[in-house]
Amino acid sequence: MYGLDDVESSHDVLVIGAGCAGMRAAIEAHDAGADVALVSKLHPTRSHSGAARGGINAALGNASEDSPELHAADTVKGSDYLGDQDAIELFCNEAPGDIYQLERWGALFDRDEEGRLAQRPFGGAGAPRTVHAADITGHVLLQVLYEQLLAREIPVYEEYFVWRLVIGNEGCQGVLAWDLVRGGVKALAAKAVILATGGSGRIYRGTTNAHACTADGMAMALRAGLPLEDLEFMQFHPTTLASSGLLVTEAVRGEGGYLLNADGARFMRHYAPEAMELASRDVVSRAEQTEIDEGRSVGGSLFLDLRHFGPEKMTERFHGTRDLALTYAGIDPLERPIPVRPGAHYHMGGVATDVDGRTEVENVFAAGEVACVSLHGANRLGGNSLMETIVFGRRAGRAAAEQALKKGGSPELGPGARADGEREISTLLERCQGERAQPIRDELGSSMHENFGVFREEGKMHRQLELLENLRERYEEVLVEDKGQVWNNDLTQTLELGFQLDLALCMVSAGLERRESRGAHSRPKDFPARDDENFLKHSLVRWSNDWLDLSWKPVTITRWQPQRRQY
Amino acid sequence: MQVRLQVQRSDLATGETRLQLYQLDRVRKEATLLDCLERIKNELDGTLAFRRSCREGICGSCAVRIDGRTALACRTPVAELVAEGRVPTVAPIGNLPVVRDLVVEMEPMWQKMRAVEPFLRPGPDSGPGGRETVVPPALLEAVHKEALCINCGACLSECDVLTVSPEFLGPHALAKAWRLVGDPRDEANAPRLKRLSGEHGIWECTRCYLCNERCPKGVDPRDAIAKLAAEAIAAGIGRNRGARHAKWFVTSARTTGWLRESELVVKTLGVAVSVSKIPLALRLFRRGKAPLPLPRHKAQDLGPARALCRIVAEQDRRGAQGIVQGERALERIDFNRSLKQPVGEDEP
Repeated sequence: MYGLDDVESSHDVLVIGAGCAGMRAAIEAHDAGADVALVSKLHPTRSHSGAARGGINAALGNASEDSPELHAADTVKGSDYLGDQDAIELFCNEAPGDIYQLERWGALFDRDEEGRLAQRPFGGAGAPRTVHAADITGHVLLQVLYEQLLAREIPVYEEYFVWRLVIGNEGCQGVLAWDLVRGGVKALAAKAVILATGGSGRIYRGTTNAHACTADGMAMALRAGLPLEDLEFMQFHPTTLASSGLLVTEAVRGEGGYLLNADGARFMRHYAPEAMELASRDVVSRAEQTEIDEGRSVGGSLFLDLRHFGPEKMTERFHGTRDLALTYAGIDPLERPIPVRPGAHYHMGGVATDVDGRTEVENVFAAGEVACVSLHGANRLGGNSLMETIVFGRRAGRAAAEQALKKGGSPELGPGARADGEREISTLLERCQGERAQPIRDELGSSMHENFGVFREEGKMHRQLELLENLRERYEEVLVEDKGQVWNNDLTQTLELGFQLDLALCMVSAGLERRESRGAHSRPKDFPARDDENFLKHSLVRWSNDWLDLSWKPVTITRWQPQRRQY
Repeated sequence: MQVRLQVQRSDLATGETRLQLYQLDRVRKEATLLDCLERIKNELDGTLAFRRSCREGICGSCAVRIDGRTALACRTPVAELVAEGRVPTVAPIGNLPVVRDLVVEMEPMWQKMRAVEPFLRPGPDSGPGGRETVVPPALLEAVHKEALCINCGACLSECDVLTVSPEFLGPHALAKAWRLVGDPRDEANAPRLKRLSGEHGIWECTRCYLCNERCPKGVDPRDAIAKLAAEAIAAGIGRNRGARHAKWFVTSARTTGWLRESELVVKTLGVAVSVSKIPLALRLFRRGKAPLPLPRHKAQDLGPARALCRIVAEQDRRGAQGIVQGERALERIDFNRSLKQPVGEDEP
């Protein structure tokens, strides 16, 4: 923790989560004149935004002719027409300005020969539009935003685990956090709160997401009565290491890597004879899952074959990939193909917001993967999510600051909020018998893959709901083994599991009701086609009276009428 | 595979530490040390404290010392550690206070980082927004390695200077400093270099190279410190002991091909201070720890030494691209590797 006393504090704006979206929001709120602080369970530069590799999309037109309109059209199509087109247009129009600003703050993007920002082609994009820093674009952005945070001396409550939004008569009054380093419940009051806690991939056993991506913000919003939008859409990345879920970059397929099944055949020829391995992520993931389901895998794995690259190409271009395979799979891709399978990668759904991050509760905002604007609709294009953190982080920061500054007085938490939180923690800590979190987490992860993975069907989703009920009952009696105060992440990881169980329930419930196949939600057995007549709409899940309430809201269409999505 | 680990635990009540032995069975052969720590925490002992997040060497959370050497737990395959029945010891990283078990207080590291004002300071005439700054890609290459830093603290953990001089800015913060000084868009170089040349700055490094050795991302912090030093001297910030010391190395090497240590003392400390060191010098001479100043030692062939000096001088900031740092330059002269033009008339 930097620049803060170890007491209860209050701020105009409190940003929960310090990845790209959170830091960008805090910077903007600060520049708008608000007293802003960040709260994060990790040090800011440890956030998962840093794992984003490929790049960030903006129609600068540096590499070829391009325009925000083209960017928008690609994004609409990529979203399988579920993205809100007003939000998409605004996003694409504002993206270039944000890129220039990042560059002027010091972001180390790659350059073309003339010294301008280089742009590379990316999946689903009609022009080379992805600005990048080698394969560490997210890392570079995370560092430059942290630098700007330090330049402004914006305080950060580091390693504070926020687990509850405090909602009173006048909306959100602040948050409760467990101080990881020192222990103890801390109450932080605020006039406006921005959720920027990232995604939920850890709900699945095989995921590219970091340990920290546990759906915190989505679940807290749900518990505070906010609606969550389009939760059934989880993007699966087709090439994740079978052993650990770590991501093998798409670039190896771009450069000619093969995907083989157990018989050594390039199975993509049956699914996308033209594009083969270069078909879009959802297409390749579905092809892989079909091979697995039909028994042409080895223990649930397919193979990414790079042997034909030869040592020279491998060391020059894919040193990182070889290193990844050697370190984490014990396999030298020059000698053997790498076992891969689809893994949970990015959650398109999240807390329902407008283009300024506003939610249903007046002073709660959300930005980044935790939010659903909806920019990505049913399927996200590579390079759009980093840009989303910047554009919508900035807009949420501005809107939250303006609202907080309009509100007079000093923020206060209602009496008893902290005592409430302390009671919850001590109940957990005082329990001395029971099952620990790990077996519940394991079952959640593997059953979500089995029953709510790449393919969904009614029977399996019902089975998953029953199983989740059972897991939630077991969680009621969960045991935290560590009883200490200092660095007790046995406690926080157990609280995270609670978030994950809540969110999984919402995801499957929404998935059951969406009786069609669209983008990442694929039901080949019962509803194989997209159904615009009945389901060109967003699902909304909310928690009311101890039950999940599902409703729908229309998609905003401005210029692009739904068409068949074909690449 | 069976894995046995000794992990340093803290007793929070007494502040003492002890080693605890853990044994895991049926460990996957490709498991990392972090995978093992996770399993210990989840299956054997929920009270074991360590940081982790990305598990792929990107977030910088899980640096620990394994049998004394700092590394990221998530980048360390455990199979080689436990080969032949070995039981490795896992301890928190060094030079930072322990919070609990493998978790250390990182704030001193962040403090040092903040002290170098780690953000770009473009000048007032860098123009309004609108478009990107146009920068030739070759110029940005100068900070390429430093930009890889993930703030894991491995370099800090290994730094011998920090152990005896906790005020030293240290390899992590100094690598960050070069990230900005070396950026052609930064316009605060002069004040930055002046501060970095002061007390507890670049000249306090003893060039042990352990930071380069242990950095999991190839940042090479010691090289960054060398680049800062070169830049500081080039900017005329040379009236301090460190710079004088470095300059004398070059002069001495260029003129005799050897380091003339007795003169080095006078050149670094000045005549007045050197006089007070005479008793020490005499003791050193007597025990053979320092060569006598006379007769002057001179290399038979000055060619290679001069060629080296010339390369470094000609490289200027391009040297920061890592082409000409210390051993690499020597390597080029010794083995004539990737040398496009002959270095000098003395080359074979």
